[in-house]
Amino acid sequence: MEIDDLGADGNGTTVNSMVMKKQKVVSWGGWALAAVCLIGLGLSLAKAGPPDQKAEPQKSAPRKLTGAELYSMHCNRCHPERYPTERTAAQWKTIMLHMQVRANIPGSQAKLILQYLQENSGR
Amino acid sequence: MIFGLLAAGCITGMELPPRAAAEVSDADFNALKETVQKLADQLHSLQQTNLIEEQTHEKDVQELQQLQAKLAETQQTAADAEQKTVAAAQTQPLPRVPIDEATVNHNFQILGDAEFQYDKASGQKGSFLLADFAPIFLYRGGDNILFEAGFDTTIQNNATNSPGYTTTFNLSFAQLDYVMNDYMTLCAGELLLPLGTYTERGAGWLNKIPDDPLAVDALLPGSGVGAELRGGIPLGDAGKFINYSVYGVNGPSSADGTGNAGALDLGGNVGLRSDDAVANLHSDPSGGARLGIFLPFKPHYDLELGISGQSGEWDNAGTHLWSAGVFDAALHLGPNFEAKGEYIQTRFGSDDLGQISQHGWWAQAGYKLAGLNLELPVINDLEMVARYDFLNDGLGTKTQRCTTGFIYYITNTLLFEGDYEFLHSNDPSQVNQLILQLSYGF
Repeated sequence: MEIDDLGADGNGTTVNSMVMKKQKVVSWGGWALAAVCLIGLGLSLAKAGPPDQKAEPQKSAPRKLTGAELYSMHCNRCHPERYPTERTAAQWKTIMLHMQVRANIPGSQAKLILQYLQENSGR
Repeated sequence: MIFGLLAAGCITGMELPPRAAAEVSDADFNALKETVQKLADQLHSLQQTNLIEEQTHEKDVQELQQLQAKLAETQQTAADAEQKTVAAAQTQPLPRVPIDEATVNHNFQILGDAEFQYDKASGQKGSFLLADFAPIFLYRGGDNILFEAGFDTTIQNNATNSPGYTTTFNLSFAQLDYVMNDYMTLCAGELLLPLGTYTERGAGWLNKIPDDPLAVDALLPGSGVGAELRGGIPLGDAGKFINYSVYGVNGPSSADGTGNAGALDLGGNVGLRSDDAVANLHSDPSGGARLGIFLPFKPHYDLELGISGQSGEWDNAGTHLWSAGVFDAALHLGPNFEAKGEYIQTRFGSDDLGQISQHGWWAQAGYKLAGLNLELPVINDLEMVARYDFLNDGLGTKTQRCTTGFIYYITNTLLFEGDYEFLHSNDPSQVNQLILQLSYGF
């Protein structure tokens, strides 16, 4: 049955009202998505805090990120955080190869993350 | 003579000691006797002690001699062993022994996920469903070589009047990865295609919403048989990097060999035809690439942008091209907020309908209620999610879908998800539905 058909017996009116109802539902759903985005965005930005009033010029080059920092940066972008104690050192080596390929992580960063995971695996 | 004898006698008398004439009393004599007796006893005791010490000394000397003999033997044995070791090392190198498990050169693991659902679609009866069991095999054969393969297992009722059900075990990808250096990895096999990021990083339990985005399922091939170069190049030391993928695959094909629009087959050209011939179904392979940039501001605050595309022939005659372009973005603002989405456009020529243009997009967001710092047990493990989908298949069907739902993190890998999908489409098969899902990543 075509959605836009208008029948002389008034069936089209019923169809149109159903369509309108669906459009309203979808419209409300769209607003719900937008609301979740805005509320979440606002709360996150609020938690981020105001910028520093006095920004001192950096005199030294930024330090290299540690394995723990790279781990927190990369390892919950796609899935919930996995804890180092969940796997053995050898298993982490295999998994990090898989993750390096999937996420295209540079080798130098992947090695630091692997070192962090192995050192904290406890086994 | 007489005078001489008298003189000798005098001299002798003068030399001889005079005879004591003093008298000794009985008491003095007894005391002297007692003293002599005591001295005799002490002398006897000392003689006994000396005898014992002599015997002990003799034992010590014997023991010392024995120890010296053993020491000599041990030194000789050590010298012999050293000579043998040197001789053996000269003839055969010592085998390499791993220091610990982390250096073991081979490792096999099974990762993956499984999803179990309860679905209630509008106009249908509610039902439980094994949505997917998707193991991933990982075999590491060294420091730089990985073989990975993923499968999807589903079950489906047989046709009416055919009892039972059919199990489908489908290979979703199988590729060999060789990490050539820190910036480049060579992959070959049935590849997960880097058109956008959803297929590689969003499927299965990684997906916060049970259903895949409409446009990804309908418009893009998820995998292709071919080869790929990919990697990441850091930009400085703050974590920024560019990531890239360049690949060649057999490409889409025609299900019936014609160039009719309805025959387009995104995933059926794997190199081995049904008549056992090893051949591409059309003349030339397809090529594609993705370029992305990852911009972290600080841990848990980052933005990734990417653009990708693929183009190549699709019909057997090779007269029509199929092309796709995807723009993808993912944003994290803290550990609690995530937003991501893709815009997808495809275009292909056809014999019957001419040039067909398809497009779609999806955007989703999630907010973990732990960010509210309410410190309530259930609230802290909840995440609210929402997605908006749009699909225009270029053949007359347009679909909009809005999904709202939640994830309850039972653990970091066991998720209970629930969502409701509001559908608006001129395809009558697209209806609203409720989905409850238990998802486990392992």
